Amino acid sequence: MVRQARSEATRRKIITSAVELFNEIGYPATGLGDIIERAEMTKGALYYHFDSKESLATAIIEEGSARLVEAFRSITTSSAPTLESMIHGVFVVADLMNTDQIARSGTHLLRAFGEFNDAAARTYRGWVAEMTERTRQAIDEGDLRTDLDPQAVGETIVGSMLGAELLSSATAAGADVLQRVARTWTVLLPAIVSQESLSYFDEFLARESMRHSPAPGAD
Amino acid sequence: MTEQLDRRADTTRLQILRAASRQFARKSYSLVSLDDILADAEVTKGAMYFHFRSKHALAAAIVDYGAAAARASVDQLLARKLSGLETLIDISYLIAIEDIGDEMARAGLNLLESVGRTDGLQANLLGQWVTAFAAVAGKAVRDGDITEDCDPESVGGLLVSMYLGLRQTSNLADPERYLHDLEKMWTLVMAGFVKPDRIDYVNQFIKRRTAVAIKKATPL
Repeated sequence: MVRQARSEATRRKIITSAVELFNEIGYPATGLGDIIERAEMTKGALYYHFDSKESLATAIIEEGSARLVEAFRSITTSSAPTLESMIHGVFVVADLMNTDQIARSGTHLLRAFGEFNDAAARTYRGWVAEMTERTRQAIDEGDLRTDLDPQAVGETIVGSMLGAELLSSATAAGADVLQRVARTWTVLLPAIVSQESLSYFDEFLARESMRHSPAPGAD
Repeated sequence: MTEQLDRRADTTRLQILRAASRQFARKSYSLVSLDDILADAEVTKGAMYFHFRSKHALAAAIVDYGAAAARASVDQLLARKLSGLETLIDISYLIAIEDIGDEMARAGLNLLESVGRTDGLQANLLGQWVTAFAAVAGKAVRDGDITEDCDPESVGGLLVSMYLGLRQTSNLADPERYLHDLEKMWTLVMAGFVKPDRIDYVNQFIKRRTAVAIKKATPL
């Protein structure tokens, strides 16, 4: 029992140190030796938990995406109409991708590994499935047009969410990701929202964007 | 070993609370007998008195349990980081849905009205609600949805009174009517503290909540 707890603490320490280094100098430049040094432990301890740098990366991808999915689900299971939750959920996820260290590192690694890593492929598929399902619900609730292909909408939303994060990290170190997400929704919503709900969602998005724009005194 | 015993005691306690809630959700305090609860919970009188000294202690525990559950859901809502006014509306709908379909929540609110009045339980708990609502209303003032000259504490008080009053005047057994009545009350009171240019949007926000809630709520 005690040993298990200690082993878990060691594992955490390794992950935290690796995440710090990946976020500071990037995955390719980080050697296992740097991680051992930062975590202040032996090579043996690291190899006991992770047999390679890639297995460490996989663990970070899995934990990072679990955090993001959990945040998204906690919002979409509320009593709000589905499309409202989807929009708000994407903002929350984009914010976490930038502010939560493990989620941030996991997102970057996900991009670096893409199709070459099972965990990465699983994560992308998971997001598309999640978003496709929510799209179906939003169509049922009358907020999205009935002639849409839910899978195509799901893929477009996930693609634009990840794309906004990519553009933002590449050009502004992630600082403007929420403004980019807002712009993506501005373009996307008129294409998918039903006629009756469109003016409401204009306002909904304007309010959501305003909350995320850097204004003094906002909380 | 003690851990295991503790857990068994907790299970028994919860079993009694659930059985009692089933009764208190449907009958008034004075009409519920301990024997009914015992029969339903399938526990001995000894076990019951080990956990609760009296019917009143049992009632107070249900109120506490409901209050803790409500606090947890409200915290979850706050963590969603919506605007203050939207959060206030969502809280009222969340409470209504629980009140309509969950025995513990219904019993807790029933008992708060009947037994809570005499022993300070009501004043204490409702005071906490008003304070919590006032904090969210304060945020709504800062968001620019509620007028600046409005006292958040009064908005908090108004919303708590509004909900407790609704329980008396509407019908929890008829979710559609109950939720429409909740919507009507919101529409009416909003004019008193929401900025005029926000009202159209918020009205729609409320209508949309009603629609989802009606689908979600299942009466006891």
